Amino acid sequence: MSTFLWVIFPYICLALFVGGHVWRYRYDKFGWTTRSSQLYEDRLLRIGSPLFHFGMLGVVLGHVMGLVVPQAATDAVGLSRSAYHTIALVGGIPAGIAAVAGLAILVYRRRTTGPVFSATTTNDKVMYLVLGSVIVLGIWNTIAGSVFHFGGEYNYRDGVSPWFRSIFALDPQPELMAQAPFGFQAHAFLAFLLFAMWPFTRLVHVFSAPLGYLTRPYLVYRSRDERPGATSGSRPPRRGWERPELQRK
Amino acid sequence: MNPGLDGPLTNALVGTRRYFTRSEVSDDNRSIHAKGGRAGDAFYRDRWSHDKVVRSTHGVNCTGSCSWKVYVKDGIITWEAQQTDYPSTGADRPEYEPRGCPRGAAFSWYTYSPTRVRFPYVRGVLLEMFRNARRAVGGDPVLAWASIVQDPDQARRYKSARGKGGLVRSTWEEVVDIIAAAHVYTVKRWGPDRIAGFSPIPAMSPVSYASGARFLELIGAPMLSFYDWYADLPNASPQMFGDQTDVPESGDWWDAGYLIMWGSNVPLTRTPDAHWMTEARYRGQKVVAVSPDYAENVKFADEWVAAAPGTDGALAMSMGHVILKEFFVDQQVDFFTRYNQHYTDLPFLVALEPDTTDAGAADDGGGAAYRPGKYVVAGDLDIPESTSENAMWKPAVLDARTGDVAIPNGSIGFRYGEEGWGRWNLDLGDIDPLLTVHGTATGTARVVLPRFDALDGKVSHVSRGVPVRRLGGRLVTTVLDLMLAQYGVRREGMPGTWPTGYDDPSTPATPAWQEEITSVPAEQVVRLAREWAENAIDTGGRGMILMGAGTNHWFHSDQIYRAMLVLTSITGCQGRNGGGWAHYVGQEKIRPIMGFQHMAFALDWHRPPRHMNQTAYWYVNTSQYRYDTFTADDVDAGTGVFTGKGVMDLLAQSVRLGWTPSYPTFNRSSLVLADEADAAGMAPADYVVDQLTTGALRFAVEDPEAEENHPRILSLWRANLLGSSAKGNEYFLKHLLGTDNAVTAAQAPPDQRPTGIEWPDDVPEGKLDLLMTIDFRMTSSTLFSDVVLPAATWYEKHDINTTDMHPFVHSFNPAIAPPWQSKTDWEAWKAVAKRFSELAVDHLGTRRDVVAKPLWHDTPEAMATVHGVVRDWRTGEVEPVPGRTLPVLVVAERDYTAVFDKMTSIGPLMETVGMLTKGVPYDVDREVEILRHRNGVAHGGAGDGQPRLQTDIHVADAILHLSGTTNGHLATHGFKNVEKRTGTPLHDLAAEHEGKQITFADTQVAPVPVITSPEWSGSESGGRRYAPFTINIERLKPFHTLTGRQQFYLDHDWILGMGEALPVYRPPLNMTELFGETALGEQNALGVSVRYLTPHNKWSIHSEYQDNLFMLSLSRGGQSIWLSDVDAEKIGVRDNDWVEAVNRNGVVAARAIVSHRMPEGTVYMHHAQDRLIDVPLTETHGRRGGIHNSLTRIMMKPSHIIGGYAQLAYFFNYIGPTGNNRDEVTMIRRRSNQDVEY
Repeated sequence: MSTFLWVIFPYICLALFVGGHVWRYRYDKFGWTTRSSQLYEDRLLRIGSPLFHFGMLGVVLGHVMGLVVPQAATDAVGLSRSAYHTIALVGGIPAGIAAVAGLAILVYRRRTTGPVFSATTTNDKVMYLVLGSVIVLGIWNTIAGSVFHFGGEYNYRDGVSPWFRSIFALDPQPELMAQAPFGFQAHAFLAFLLFAMWPFTRLVHVFSAPLGYLTRPYLVYRSRDERPGATSGSRPPRRGWERPELQRK
Repeated sequence: MNPGLDGPLTNALVGTRRYFTRSEVSDDNRSIHAKGGRAGDAFYRDRWSHDKVVRSTHGVNCTGSCSWKVYVKDGIITWEAQQTDYPSTGADRPEYEPRGCPRGAAFSWYTYSPTRVRFPYVRGVLLEMFRNARRAVGGDPVLAWASIVQDPDQARRYKSARGKGGLVRSTWEEVVDIIAAAHVYTVKRWGPDRIAGFSPIPAMSPVSYASGARFLELIGAPMLSFYDWYADLPNASPQMFGDQTDVPESGDWWDAGYLIMWGSNVPLTRTPDAHWMTEARYRGQKVVAVSPDYAENVKFADEWVAAAPGTDGALAMSMGHVILKEFFVDQQVDFFTRYNQHYTDLPFLVALEPDTTDAGAADDGGGAAYRPGKYVVAGDLDIPESTSENAMWKPAVLDARTGDVAIPNGSIGFRYGEEGWGRWNLDLGDIDPLLTVHGTATGTARVVLPRFDALDGKVSHVSRGVPVRRLGGRLVTTVLDLMLAQYGVRREGMPGTWPTGYDDPSTPATPAWQEEITSVPAEQVVRLAREWAENAIDTGGRGMILMGAGTNHWFHSDQIYRAMLVLTSITGCQGRNGGGWAHYVGQEKIRPIMGFQHMAFALDWHRPPRHMNQTAYWYVNTSQYRYDTFTADDVDAGTGVFTGKGVMDLLAQSVRLGWTPSYPTFNRSSLVLADEADAAGMAPADYVVDQLTTGALRFAVEDPEAEENHPRILSLWRANLLGSSAKGNEYFLKHLLGTDNAVTAAQAPPDQRPTGIEWPDDVPEGKLDLLMTIDFRMTSSTLFSDVVLPAATWYEKHDINTTDMHPFVHSFNPAIAPPWQSKTDWEAWKAVAKRFSELAVDHLGTRRDVVAKPLWHDTPEAMATVHGVVRDWRTGEVEPVPGRTLPVLVVAERDYTAVFDKMTSIGPLMETVGMLTKGVPYDVDREVEILRHRNGVAHGGAGDGQPRLQTDIHVADAILHLSGTTNGHLATHGFKNVEKRTGTPLHDLAAEHEGKQITFADTQVAPVPVITSPEWSGSESGGRRYAPFTINIERLKPFHTLTGRQQFYLDHDWILGMGEALPVYRPPLNMTELFGETALGEQNALGVSVRYLTPHNKWSIHSEYQDNLFMLSLSRGGQSIWLSDVDAEKIGVRDNDWVEAVNRNGVVAARAIVSHRMPEGTVYMHHAQDRLIDVPLTETHGRRGGIHNSLTRIMMKPSHIIGGYAQLAYFFNYIGPTGNNRDEVTMIRRRSNQDVEY
């Protein structure tokens, strides 16, 4: 069982994550959108969206720090365990609260605003369920585990983090997760499930965050590209006696 | 120094982009020029891409007749866009294109609408009965049908199920069986005139119209008229012009110097044409809008004349008063004088009759009183012409040159007969007609004239003097003299009661008088009248009045129109580009009318056709006459001309005198009559006369409730009778269909019933055996039908389309084949015809059919009633002579087994007899031969060797080849025939196009302009815009009237008796007096009483488009009633509240639209909203709310069923009682329970 949960399952999810994005980019470029509901309702959104998104940025940064950077490395640069712990909480708790609060506002808005709810698909709802669960579990782990030490002290950098890195090192160590507290197990499991779903949901918008806009001039002119093959969209040019009027001969 | 972007940080950031891209960033950092990266364009290119574009149009009776591009992608119709390839109108003039409105742009949605009829449907209980019966009788569907309709219980079962759902899918084979069997049975048992077809407005799709019409006429069933039924028919037009709705194209509005929109809300109802009205203002045209509400057209106008609804006649009369006084009495204007001498009846002499009532005694005491009488004709006088041919039909004038009477050419007496060749023209020769007797009079006479402006509408009288001469022992005067008296324009020395000035409100027709009626300030009226006349003088008659339903849907609209037409005609505006009347209602102008009529009514196989006036048909057959407490006395002028007669009595009299058509005609089958005549060894006409005079045979209209006189089958296609045009809708449901209804009115009490009509106590319900509708969407008509056939839409068939508004012919073309199981009308009716012919072998064979036809306009039959004196053979006043004092009786031999062959080939009459349209004969041997080659020839059967009419394109080409408007050779030939009668040159009008033949293929390429033809009164020669009667004015061709001129005066007995010899103001009917409705403005538990008007919707064309999702989204999404904020306040209604409107005819439940644009006391329910979308159950009776016509009822005006008297003679859609409905009032209240149920 633990082999399945902590070796097989993660690899499947990662494969889906990678392959799914390739497929999505190739075959559903026009669908690669978050289907923004800003036009329907923008007041709650103005609060909830930045709250959630910036909170998540902080959360992601914290995960990089906690999962990717080995404990040995932080030790080596002189960051004590308690100092790390403080930094993690001082940064993580606000980020987490922001993410949760933001998500709560967004979900409330989505459920109670008529047009917004009408525009919500089943795919969205499932995604919200999984994403929300991951986030809630995450904050639970932080508060219950790292703050109040429910179920005893547990240093995830001894268990979860090395396991995480072991997946990518192609030398998986399932026993590390098998011994982790249930909350971390659930969080990790659902996170990988989220990764598996990711490319098939609106979350793909994360990878098309418009960073380029920071440096983009306001007016973008695009002239025709006469290079062969450059103007193909999803339809090949039509032959026939009756040409659409707008197409130049 | 470049301004850069806002903020130094942004500027710096953006400025770095140039180092990271190959694209060029501008110096000011505002723009970046990239090459390519346009893969995303595929998104909109994909959206726009299509596989083909097909030209088609919309056949919806909107008059737009716009050519559209229909786009097809992957075999799906996706959208449409306006065509922009109309022929140019020439220099210095805007173009017609683009044409198209929001309604039309939404049509493609219908192709895949959820309410599209995809399959044939039959009422479930009926289908079950039919299948069982068929098994029981051993397979013959005719016998099966017989067994059902002859069993009262079965009949009641399926009839009472009408409108209650239960439509079950069937197959084409089965439904065609049922329909054909029902038709065969009915022809066999009751006779063919117990069957009727209703499809309106041929112009919108004549081939589709012809599909059912041709079949029905071949079997001898009547087609019901539409123009009069829709109340769109202006009876003033035949009365005055002898022509029906010949009007300018919209491009001619550009030519007018002064434009009045009077009862026509142009931006809403002529959407694609409205631009002409706005553009012409930049040329200096003054635009005036007459409208009770702040309608869409008002904001474009220079002046708004806010006349109260239905009072337009008073407004027009008072404008006439000013013009007559200032331009005919105070001075004589040469332009007006010459025009009226030539083109109107102003100079014609009228004899005065002594007044035998005491109306004249009351006024002015002393002196004999007279009433206007008959035109003085040659036969009345002691002059050489009195013995000439048709002498009783040649009215006289006084010649200023000789001081004596003269008989000018051009009257109807010259139109027919041998002596008239070359003399039927308006060339006065040396005659200089006196417009007035004043100045050469030998005395004056006091004439008693009626006025109807009392609130209760009852007549009173006023005495006015006219100058007179003595002729043939009688006092005579001119029409102008009578007009001046009628209009209250005083002259020196005339006795009587005259107003003291424009500001005298006590007597008609001063500006102050009208102000009390219309609320239009007197000052405005005076000023506009002067402007109008002065413009006519300055521009040579370029003053135009656009008219429409707002002034035409009233009971007395003929009088409203006559008063308006006085303004255009006495000022010389009629018959000019940019001048005259412009009456726009439905899409009336089927330009290739000749070819259309002959093909649609199967005149190539049988003549005459059966044509029925639909208003009278339903007045009788939905038993509305039984609820009519409105007697003929209510419309007479106290002369007693109708004493003791109800409207129904007058109808019966009109029928038996051959004035108006009536089908069913006799109380016996017309086939049986022929058989009986043969058995008796008599000619059928003689036999019928004999039977009628002995009373053994009666007219069906005298006993409508008898089962042998019931209508049995009604077919609807291109029509939505029960959701749109059925005035008295609830009576249809009750009496005709035999199902649930909301009638609460009581039948007429004994003292208000017609005297000559059978009146059984029990009135049958459910007279109709079969109601069949062909449509592509579910409407009230399909939901009430027994059989529903799926029709192809306008993007799925071939047909043509013409309109009054422009001179082009458009084609329909299929963008896709008819989907699901739908068929084009032509294919559907062919299928019925084929099966009918097969079943006829055993049941009918060849039969002879006695066809009764009324006396026709544009034929010598219209000279039946000398002087318009009514004499009835029933009372022995005159001998019963078919075609003179009786209907025309013709025997048609119908081989019922050959109906399909005849339907699909052109018959021999075209070559043996030729064509006749509006009195002009045509030889079409050449055209028929061309069609043999074009369409191919039928082999075998009744049509062997004849040109085929197999496909809809064949029919279209036949129509186009057989009309002068699309065949220059035929037009030229026709004009040459007319020239023989007029003696004046005419054929040069078409000569420029003599070799041109417009084919269907031509119309597929681009809109094609038509050719000037004798079928119409206007000329398009040289590329001029079309205006009516330009040929009459410019080429001195007579109008088709008694005098040959435009007539302000009418002297038929009934019209004189009604006090309407001259234009006179008649107010809207007083519904309180007549029907006991609550008085306008009064309030009680049922709400407030308001005038109920049903003008045009913005978001639909009648019931079409109303159920289209786009239109529903733009409008309120269901039935709505507009009311003023003042009335809303009275009944506590806020915008969008549910309200109910109730009167004696029915109930409507709708949402309120509250607006200050509405005048107090009037509500608008836009017509034909149908009752399929968002119509709840009512509080009043717990059933579904009705349609707009649930609150109306048929009201017939007797003057509209006059016949056999010059221009007052019948022709299909030319003249007739109208389905007027604007005089209605209703109670309206807020629903106490705003939570509605469905």
